[in-house]
Amino acid sequence: MQDTLIRKLESFEELTDADRTALRAFVPRVRQVPARTDLIQEGDTPGDVHLILNGYACRYKVLPDGQRQIMAFFVPGDFCDLNVFILDQMDHTLGTVSACQVVEIPRHAIEEITAHHPRVTRALMWCALVDEAVLREWLVNIGGRQADQRIAHLFCELLLRLEAVGRVTDNSFPFPFTQTDVADAVGLSDVQVSRTLRELRRLDLITLRHRVLTILDVEQLKAYCGFNPNYLHLRNARWSGRRQLPWLSSVRGD
Amino acid sequence: MADRDNVESLVVLQPISVDTASPDHVGMLVIANGLLVAVLVRLDAPEHERRGSWYMEVRLGRLAKVRPPVFDTLENATRWVRQRLRG
Repeated sequence: MQDTLIRKLESFEELTDADRTALRAFVPRVRQVPARTDLIQEGDTPGDVHLILNGYACRYKVLPDGQRQIMAFFVPGDFCDLNVFILDQMDHTLGTVSACQVVEIPRHAIEEITAHHPRVTRALMWCALVDEAVLREWLVNIGGRQADQRIAHLFCELLLRLEAVGRVTDNSFPFPFTQTDVADAVGLSDVQVSRTLRELRRLDLITLRHRVLTILDVEQLKAYCGFNPNYLHLRNARWSGRRQLPWLSSVRGD
Repeated sequence: MADRDNVESLVVLQPISVDTASPDHVGMLVIANGLLVAVLVRLDAPEHERRGSWYMEVRLGRLAKVRPPVFDTLENATRWVRQRLRG
């Protein structure tokens, strides 16, 4: 499990042997959580930090009329609530979408390691910044894009995020989300989602069979929704080059 | 129920074809007391989870403030509209 975490953090920052040793030192709890199960609910006191090893989860709120709004999807390698343990009370709920393997990292372990390992701290800040960037993009998605573009954009994002953690084969990945899950994430009705999926299929951009989504033409799908991956800050995106600039190394003191 | 209906909005449905950019085009204008308040469309595309049900494609005025379900029948839809317009 620590190796997954180390890989994730190293996608943002180069870690030293001491950093890696420290990360391997703590003993995490790994939990198997069934699909459609809350990890922590709104109002609960946050304790552990959750990291998804396998499966998909989401962050959501339920409005007084019962409407659910999903604010984030989590894929393998994602922290669900990196800094939220600082808060007294959860202001939202974290729940699984599919069956998940979830790592619970005690808050004191995070506090201890960040106090002594600045590179790990910086890598964790990267994770938090990317989470915020994704949230910003979702805000743009809901507020600024048309129904079909919103869903296409979500598919492009999932493709890149899952690719980054080695979970994509031939542009296909597990898609356990229901139409309602997608609708609640992009601010549409189930019917609008159903129609959009139909349209994306008709345009030969995607197929969705047996809960596996295949992007048939990645470039066309990106063009369809004006997808710009810069906000994901992935190594293989255009930002990676800038991170290798000499001044950055000198600031790091490498 | 019938008694209450007497003092509630008079809801009339009027068939209309609707362009939804999908195979769903059988529609109904929903007119309450002479005002257009909604457009219902029958879900005919095979991809829909509740094929054959009625989806409120457009909501106007007071109905725009509430989130409608998908209706199994037109009777359920008109009952829902009457209830929402009451008072």
